[in-house]
Amino acid sequence: MTVFKTFLKVLNKCKFVIILYTVILLTFGAFNMTTSENSTNFVASKPDVLIINNDENVGVTKNLVEYITNNSNNVDVKNNEDAINDALFYREINYIIYIPQNYRQDILDGKNPEIEIKSTGDYQASYAEMLLSRYINIEVIYAKEIKDEDKLIEKINNTLAEQTEIEITSKLDTDSLSKATFYYNFASYSILAGAIYVICLILSSFNETKIRKRTIISSMNYKKHNRILLISNALLAIALWIFYVIISFIIVGKTMFSIQGVIYIVNSFIFTICALTIAFLIANLVNNKNAINGIVNVIALGSSFLCGAFVPVEWLPASVLKVAHILPTYWYIQTNELMKTIEKFDIESLKPVFINMGVIALFTIIFVIITNIISKRKRKIA
Amino acid sequence: MKNIIEVKNLTKEYRNLKAIDDLSFEVHEGEILGLLGPNGSGKSTTINCILSLLKFSKGSIKILGKEMKPDSYDIKKDLGVIFQEVAVFEELTVYENIDYFCGLYIKDKTTRKKYIKEAIELVGLEEFKKFYPKQLSGGLLRRLNIACGIAHKPKIIFLDEPTVAVDPQSRNSILDGIKKLRDQGATIVYTTHYMEEVEILCDRIIILDKGKVLATGTSDKLKELAKIEEKVTIEINNLQPEQIEKIKQLENVDEVNYNVGNLIITYKKGKNNLGELIEHLKKENIKYNKIYSERPTLNDVFLELTGKELRD
Repeated sequence: MTVFKTFLKVLNKCKFVIILYTVILLTFGAFNMTTSENSTNFVASKPDVLIINNDENVGVTKNLVEYITNNSNNVDVKNNEDAINDALFYREINYIIYIPQNYRQDILDGKNPEIEIKSTGDYQASYAEMLLSRYINIEVIYAKEIKDEDKLIEKINNTLAEQTEIEITSKLDTDSLSKATFYYNFASYSILAGAIYVICLILSSFNETKIRKRTIISSMNYKKHNRILLISNALLAIALWIFYVIISFIIVGKTMFSIQGVIYIVNSFIFTICALTIAFLIANLVNNKNAINGIVNVIALGSSFLCGAFVPVEWLPASVLKVAHILPTYWYIQTNELMKTIEKFDIESLKPVFINMGVIALFTIIFVIITNIISKRKRKIA
Repeated sequence: MKNIIEVKNLTKEYRNLKAIDDLSFEVHEGEILGLLGPNGSGKSTTINCILSLLKFSKGSIKILGKEMKPDSYDIKKDLGVIFQEVAVFEELTVYENIDYFCGLYIKDKTTRKKYIKEAIELVGLEEFKKFYPKQLSGGLLRRLNIACGIAHKPKIIFLDEPTVAVDPQSRNSILDGIKKLRDQGATIVYTTHYMEEVEILCDRIIILDKGKVLATGTSDKLKELAKIEEKVTIEINNLQPEQIEKIKQLENVDEVNYNVGNLIITYKKGKNNLGELIEHLKKENIKYNKIYSERPTLNDVFLELTGKELRD
């Protein structure tokens, strides 16, 4: 009890660090909530298009102008090349369509007239180009078969008016899952940084050479003393994990009562144990309290950035993700990311989850082995 | 007298260097044994070997009649150690620190509470119980260090240079505390390179150098080893070489040194040396300011045995 009680007293001195990392997690979690809620509304945007019609505004030409006008914002710019170029440069227009002379006649003759365009090259311009291509492709195909202009216009308009019904069969609550994934991804930083910082600080106090000497010569079995310290640290890490899991229930409660929720919890538990072994390894290597802060930043922040805890994995370059494979955080985040897409839970779909968890467990074993080797070597030197 | 610690032929080698060379000695029950020697003489290495903190190359160590090993927890419960460096938790208060180290030995809460109170009283830290180590001065920290090492009431206490870099007031308090511990029945092994401390504190002294025992005995016995009986110092200005030569001719004079107005005369043996010297100075009409006589110190003994000063 003496060792455990002293452990708690030393831990009490580190409580601000735990509070700090929890506040960071909660702040980013809350920030994510607000940004995710905004993304539930979608309004289609229209490109700003200028049509310069050099043909007569009748028949198929008029129909083209009407179609483009109805599906875009029609911008009025002086019919002056300099003014047009300026408007394009300042992004007042995304796309300019120059309808050539005899466009109508060429279409009716079954030809494919060339249309000159100017574009800003952005996604709005691409959308305008898509509208134009869609119209002309349909027009050219029908014009080869239909010679009557009114019928041609009618056929084109009917085809363009056709809509495809899309039914979303997935029952996944993607918004809630995204929030949970973000929370648990970010929690990897809080767990790793919190565990390493606090455990290393506590162990550096107990392992200080002078205090260690005093403990070794005492009548308490030194192996027993170390066992108590190990259990105390494990309890601390588990308490930290339980605390973060409880917060996840508060933030994304609904998701946590699903199979995905169970996987998030199991995955974070395995990761917490791995973080604990990393903390033991570092505590064995470093005994300087001032150096611990720097090491926490390098390991926790570094792996969180490299593995996608702070930014979505899909935004990270392939080369970065390749490097991230050597870090346990990567495998932890991969499992969280999978939760956003897996709908049917069976052995086959859960296989990558088990593999990811297995890799983290393997990392844990490796860290334990390295820690043992180092501490044995240290004892020999002493 | 019962031997509490028996060290026989202890040798500790670091590659080609012998830190302890065939060292043998005993510590008697209830005594304060001083291990005296210059820095690097092997005092701390000897203590570390006795406590099984260091593996030794040869020899045997018995404490309370049993062989001392790293897992001799039945022996360790009777040992208390105070190292030169302060070994306490920065995060714990004075009381909590003593409680932790005492708790490594004493499980019973009530007994521990009583022992902690007594330890705090012994070192005079009653007013600082709730202070953190960083709030304490160097001297108070040393006292806390001692309290942490003795709170469990050990039968044998090892003190490894506990007064290094300590102010005179704290030093006196520490030395008084050690005497009290001995009076309470503890056996104490005290290592230091301060000969004054050894002289006033220790019942028996072992002089070490280069890992070897040079001499063992009480302070008076050791002083007999010095070939001088008396040392007289006189403050004289402008002493002429022929006058020094005449002093050298006096009976029992071993050596005469004159340096910066100080004349130091060492005598081999004999009585009334000081009286004869004063008479000679009168006869020669030599004026002097101050004159005093000293018995040989342990430093003289060390000088006699090794040819160098203990403070070197």
